[in-house]
Amino acid sequence: MLELAVRPQFSVVVPPKLLQEGYLVYFSGGWPSTHEAHREKLFRVDVVNQVPYDRFYIIPTGDYRDVDFSNGSGTFQESIYPENNDSLFEVLLGFKPGNFVSHWYIPSSKSVHQLEYAQMYPDVTDADKRYLGARLAGDSPYDDPQVKLYFVKDLAPVIMRLYVLAGVDYEKVVVGLLVNKCKLRQIEAPTQDQMLKAKVIRYYDELRW
Amino acid sequence: MPSKVVTANTTAQEVAAERSDAVAIPTSLVVDNDQGAADRIISIQDVFTPSVTNGVSSPSETTVDRFRATAPQGFVTTLTEDDLKGVKCLGALKVIASAVDASCYITAGYRHE
Repeated sequence: MLELAVRPQFSVVVPPKLLQEGYLVYFSGGWPSTHEAHREKLFRVDVVNQVPYDRFYIIPTGDYRDVDFSNGSGTFQESIYPENNDSLFEVLLGFKPGNFVSHWYIPSSKSVHQLEYAQMYPDVTDADKRYLGARLAGDSPYDDPQVKLYFVKDLAPVIMRLYVLAGVDYEKVVVGLLVNKCKLRQIEAPTQDQMLKAKVIRYYDELRW
Repeated sequence: MPSKVVTANTTAQEVAAERSDAVAIPTSLVVDNDQGAADRIISIQDVFTPSVTNGVSSPSETTVDRFRATAPQGFVTTLTEDDLKGVKCLGALKVIASAVDASCYITAGYRHE
């Protein structure tokens, strides 16, 4: 028997996971006036620099820790935000396997993953709602992170609530971060083509409607 | 994979220090109690200080016994990775014995994951 390999009719190009030099980013009109430096503006990424950073938390079962990515010296603050308006930090986040769930809030009091019915709000103290909107370690593995965050100067605190499920006495949650520091240069008069090619970065409120 | 030899002691002997980005997995435990004075109970301890959480603002150092086995006098007891399956140390991996015995040697192998 003879079998000929079929010539592929098209190929799939997987784009890079991170922003690269020369890429364009556009901050949507959903950004508030407090972020006037970015709102409705197009930028070119001039320089990138990747900074890996592993964090770990040993948490007893049934307890949680709010990991705050904003800058400061508070116990829970990780100070991952940029300090300059011409910096954009693109952060990949992955977990090593463990017996825990993560919930996401921005700002600290508002979940990113609530549903529309009033009671459908993530709650780690509730046996059912602690799984609502929860991201598990397998959803964003350490070696192939799927969670991506974009931080600009003075962004409201992004909170990652790590809750350790029953079944262990303690769990060590290892969080692998890769901070892709991007130096931005504004394009004053963007062309239509540049606007179409740009990656749109939306304000967090646009995730909730 | 690294390993370390310690002698039986009632004070926990450190085999692998805590590493922030990984847990320590014991892969083998060989207790040479051939020349030991008596049967010895050997335990693997996990020593760590939990993180500050929303529930506990000032956590203190914690020791959790993760494994325990008896090593009979006059024998060399060998435990493989399969025997130790499921044992995981979040912090420092330490070994402690039921009595001080300079003739009872414990070889612990481990890896970080």
